[in-house]
Amino acid sequence: MTEQVPNKFIVPIGPQHPALKEPGHFEFSVDGEIVTDASIRLGYVHRGVERGTEDRTWVQNLYLIERICGICSHIHATAYTLGVEKLAGLSAPPRAQAIRELFCELERIHSHLLWIGVAAHEAGFDALFMYSWRDRETVMDLLEELSGNRVHYSCNVLGGVKFDISDAQRDAILRGLDFLEQRTHHYLQVVTQDAAFVRRTRGVGVMTKEQAVEYGAVGPVARASGVERDVRVDAPYLAYEQFPVQMITDTAGDLEARFAVRVRELFESYRVIRAILDKLPAGELMAKMPRKIPPGEAIVRVEAPRGELFYFIKSNGGDKPERVKVRTPSICNFGSVARLTIGHQLADAPMILAGIDPCFSCNDRAVRIKRQDHIQSWTWSDLRRYALKKYSA
Amino acid sequence: MTGIWSIIALLFFPGGLFVLTCGLAYEWVDRKLIARFQNRLGPRWFQPAADVLKLLAKEEVVPAGVNPVLFKWLPVIALAGALTAALYVPMAGLPPAFSFPGDLIVALYLLSLLTLCTGLAGANTLDRFSIVGAVRTLTQLFSYEAPFMLALLSPAIVAGSWQTSEIIRSAGGQWILLTQPISFVIALIGLMGKLELPPFDAPEAETEIVAGALTEYSGRGYALFRLGRGVELVVGLTLVAALYMGGLAGPLDFALKTLGLLVVLALFQTLFARLRIDQTVGLWWRYGALLALAQMLVIVGAKVIA
Amino acid sequence: MKDATTLLQAAQSILAPWAKEFTYPDPMRLDVALAAGDIAPAAAALRAAGWGYLTAITGLDLGVEAGKLEVLYHFCDGPALVNLRVTLPRDNPVINSVCGAIPSASFFERELSEMFGVTVAGTPNPDKLFLPEDWPDGVYPLRKDFEPELLTRGRP
Repeated sequence: MTEQVPNKFIVPIGPQHPALKEPGHFEFSVDGEIVTDASIRLGYVHRGVERGTEDRTWVQNLYLIERICGICSHIHATAYTLGVEKLAGLSAPPRAQAIRELFCELERIHSHLLWIGVAAHEAGFDALFMYSWRDRETVMDLLEELSGNRVHYSCNVLGGVKFDISDAQRDAILRGLDFLEQRTHHYLQVVTQDAAFVRRTRGVGVMTKEQAVEYGAVGPVARASGVERDVRVDAPYLAYEQFPVQMITDTAGDLEARFAVRVRELFESYRVIRAILDKLPAGELMAKMPRKIPPGEAIVRVEAPRGELFYFIKSNGGDKPERVKVRTPSICNFGSVARLTIGHQLADAPMILAGIDPCFSCNDRAVRIKRQDHIQSWTWSDLRRYALKKYSA
Repeated sequence: MTGIWSIIALLFFPGGLFVLTCGLAYEWVDRKLIARFQNRLGPRWFQPAADVLKLLAKEEVVPAGVNPVLFKWLPVIALAGALTAALYVPMAGLPPAFSFPGDLIVALYLLSLLTLCTGLAGANTLDRFSIVGAVRTLTQLFSYEAPFMLALLSPAIVAGSWQTSEIIRSAGGQWILLTQPISFVIALIGLMGKLELPPFDAPEAETEIVAGALTEYSGRGYALFRLGRGVELVVGLTLVAALYMGGLAGPLDFALKTLGLLVVLALFQTLFARLRIDQTVGLWWRYGALLALAQMLVIVGAKVIA
Repeated sequence: MKDATTLLQAAQSILAPWAKEFTYPDPMRLDVALAAGDIAPAAAALRAAGWGYLTAITGLDLGVEAGKLEVLYHFCDGPALVNLRVTLPRDNPVINSVCGAIPSASFFERELSEMFGVTVAGTPNPDKLFLPEDWPDGVYPLRKDFEPELLTRGRP
């Protein structure tokens, strides 16, 4: 037991806890069932990716960066390639841009459906969890069909994309979307009308528009509070100029609104994907990229499923980046959790936490192994040696 | 009843082995049904038994700071309570092994023993999740217990007896659930509250407090609590089926009626999101208790007029 | 929706009292060089004028020879992007917190101080955010002279 301040009962959530699919540490001080204070500690899956990029070439980094997140892998790689292309002073051909956008939206569908399931599970509503994950398989299958992978599609290369979309794949996507659209109508109904579920979401974790701005919320969390920010609309990148999306906002700012905004964003994604498939620009898939990137700084903002993703890339003219800064949407939204849970029931805390769709790996970007005698942070070469030893046996 | 029969009744049938097997079987049916309702495959038929055997074989860790005697014996008492309750209900459609005027009350209190033990087990440990879980378990106990009792009181008042077999006999094969639908629903939902089934699983809500009061339990203790839960499921279903569905005429009748009720329970478990503990209390006291009371007053009124 | 040029001009006039230099690296982006002491009032002025939001704080190590660190505050409003750039000495970097005006900057400032060793004066919570509690003092992983061996040196 840790030391306790008198009259303060702390319920720790994490680093390992069934409510968290990834490690993070939250301490909720409670008075009975009411949360009176909350604090956050991150970094349990900090892998030193930002530092790692400085030791790898521009191309190698593409694969490292795609592995920042296991859910929104494509959007990270896209932001990085956009930045490098900006520095190199060229852009990917229109067809490549459209295919990237297509993947972005497919990824959003899979991410949002995953979130609906997780959030429903936090509310103890496992039926919705099971059904939404079953339907999510549709989009996972499509992604596998297109790229050969369910999670890390590796669709981007510097200067374009790796693969094209065939007619058969196009038809498969359209069929999948029809099914998903019909299911999504049902989910929208459930999250806004199911009496038992709405009792756990309506009026819970309310964040006003002013608070959302003050806490620096981004993405669907901010939009559910009426903050009109969506990089796809504000500063269109990829082919979002040609295939625009509509911004989905809500005014309620509670958990129900966060559900509704995400579910309604799914419809936008379906619509955009159909538009892209309908008018997929013809032409090349790749532009020629130099091995060395001219010196300069590039800033890229893209809309990840969880909100605005920010990349700052600096080149010194060599074959490796000088600095890659990644600011993920989750870190912006974590700030809001600590404040929003105060005054709520303990039972609502995991719901509010899940409400921002936290992505810890995104956030934490040194393998670290704790031993009894001392703490050891594993370096890349240690890991390599360890792997060689383990697998040669 | 002679000594040898009492021992058989205690160890094999209807208490002991039979209820335990029945409990595991019903737990499997429950899990399988929910899985199918949720579009999953669900566990294989021997899974609950395998779980219990595995747990029994595992080392039981006694955490620091607990009262070891309480920690070890609470699960035993809980299971014993549930097993004893099985002796006073018409298990498998046969007449109860033991019966006396007022056995219904005894059975109900023996069923509550499990919940009390769970609450004490949670309060016994220093773990925060356990303590929060224990508080929730006991809070929930106080919220459903009264409406549940009132609901079972209604058929008893009609029959004018506290003896389970007497109530069944006076109903004469009639389904009381048709004449007293409110108390039937309350009794059934009360049973779900008692068993901490979703949506009344706030005391063990894993996404908030891990496993609630039983977080620190492993190995044998946990296995016994789980067995107790299974037994309570069977006993509770038997009781509700016998009182409200025109008695249990034999093993087949018993199986049909209790499994029918189990399907309803599984449906309820699938359909609803978990209630927060304050919502549970509100639901029971604002609606459950009042409705049960109203139902009872109507019955008493009808009896007086008749 | 306002266009980037108007927005950036508005930002330029808000920031004029503190700016040492304005540059436009691309049409959507305005870089503003500031003295280290001016960051808090400049950020507060943007916030007070309702110009955009703080989207990130980036630290940059210009290397041991240059002896300098740079800190960039990125503000966004629609398509427009304003970077407030502050140069700090590498051996004793101190900067004022902007949390007074922008509370959400707390996490960014914690990250900045643990990764680059920048002391953020007046930040509400100076604890580590990502790095382990027992991380050695004076070792900053995103500085250019960081070696993983620094972590294990002198340990059992």
